[in-house]
Amino acid sequence: MFELDQRIAEQLTEVSLNSSVQVRFGNSNSFMVTASTMIPLMQMFEMGGVYICATRGAVEIIEAFEAIGVDVSNIQFIDLVSSGILGGTDVPYDNITFVDSPIMLESVLLRTLYILRISTNERNFVLIDAVNSLAIYNEERMLAEYLHTFINTFRQREILSIILNVPDQVPPAVLSNLDLYCTDLIDRGQVVIH
Amino acid sequence: MSHPPLHRVKYNPRIAHASITAIVSLWSVIMQPATVYSRDRCITGIHGMDEILRGGIPYGSTVLASGTCGSGKTTFGMEFLVRGAQAGEACAHFTATEPSVKLLENIRQFAFFDMNMVDSGLINVFDMDVLYSWLGLDKASFDLDDVHALIKAIVDIVNTIGVTRLVIDSVTTLCYKIKSEQLIRDFLFTLGKKLATLGCTTILISEITSATQNAHWSSFGVEEAIADGIIVMGDVERMGHLLRFLQVVKMRGTAHSRAKHAIELTPLGVMLTPMLKWGAVSDKTSRWGS
Repeated sequence: MFELDQRIAEQLTEVSLNSSVQVRFGNSNSFMVTASTMIPLMQMFEMGGVYICATRGAVEIIEAFEAIGVDVSNIQFIDLVSSGILGGTDVPYDNITFVDSPIMLESVLLRTLYILRISTNERNFVLIDAVNSLAIYNEERMLAEYLHTFINTFRQREILSIILNVPDQVPPAVLSNLDLYCTDLIDRGQVVIH
Repeated sequence: MSHPPLHRVKYNPRIAHASITAIVSLWSVIMQPATVYSRDRCITGIHGMDEILRGGIPYGSTVLASGTCGSGKTTFGMEFLVRGAQAGEACAHFTATEPSVKLLENIRQFAFFDMNMVDSGLINVFDMDVLYSWLGLDKASFDLDDVHALIKAIVDIVNTIGVTRLVIDSVTTLCYKIKSEQLIRDFLFTLGKKLATLGCTTILISEITSATQNAHWSSFGVEEAIADGIIVMGDVERMGHLLRFLQVVKMRGTAHSRAKHAIELTPLGVMLTPMLKWGAVSDKTSRWGS
């Protein structure tokens, strides 16, 4: 039985649409924290949104949600991973769009804005999974600049932004900038093993 | 001349109040900002473009849209016409680089384009080859008379249909037939002047091989001097990936942003966002590098 972290849902009740939430997790609890963030937004707050996949391909994430009985057909996925693999874009889902590479940060922003333009949902979120994956490809200053632009773009449009990251894999300057830009922090970065 | 002693001039509150009021009125007239004249705009309707141009292209301007291959020039030009047609304006597109049938087939994949606009006569697409045949200009190079005949034909079409938005795609292909720089200059200057008189805002699409800082903004180097505005489109190469960009280099009659903007060709049309400052220059080894 998959167990969600209910404290995340409680924390999310305190954020508003123009908030930007930094969600920290560790290597071992990444999906649990992601699901615990996404599911309340979709089910409790009836939000639609855009899921930016920089860590794993979108199909893998959709299948992981389906495995725990969660329908994510109302979420649009932007996949930055699969175009790097020949044949990776031949997928059975129509809610996935592909961007050639995590290098093309502006394209990701524009593609997200495009999806939100055609979205019929009243309330939306955008979720980046995850900053540490973007940091593999992008130079520190550019990534910090991008997150600054990204967060402010959606805050201005009253779209909730969720920024996932594994703190010990993110350049310190980017991490400290995130602390500055984001309005809220959900910290599950240190996993307690019982 | 004797002055009354100061202590004998009585303070009169009414006179004092009147004086202060007069000074305040005079001051407010002096300090009032002069009325700023602003030219009427042709609202492009392209996402982000009117914001860059602080309201749109000044009416009647001739704008050079220069770009490398695949940078989105044709889509940009066609969207400019579609947005005009949606507002009820008559538009014309002269195509010299590809047949009109092929152009329309390519542009139909975009959701912003509606074939009914062509059928209803709001967007008029002309093949330059057909126009050359009408004018009997089936020759390798044009002389002064040919150039004047071409200008007259384009202006007559614009005048007859009442075109307010015009795109010539591309002026480079068209000018290949005009052998002298002077003649190219005359052609573009006269065409731009006549179209402006008719209140027509024109986009001249120009092909360039490199959109770097050291490059010309046009193929022949003369178009950029004639145009009222220059919009450059190209690619920034970032670690082996090409990102499209657009930059307004010049636009007479309006303040505008001169920053590089990343563009994406979406089914809804061109979308723009400011390019990341730390990623606005191509990798040094790239042929696009500046």
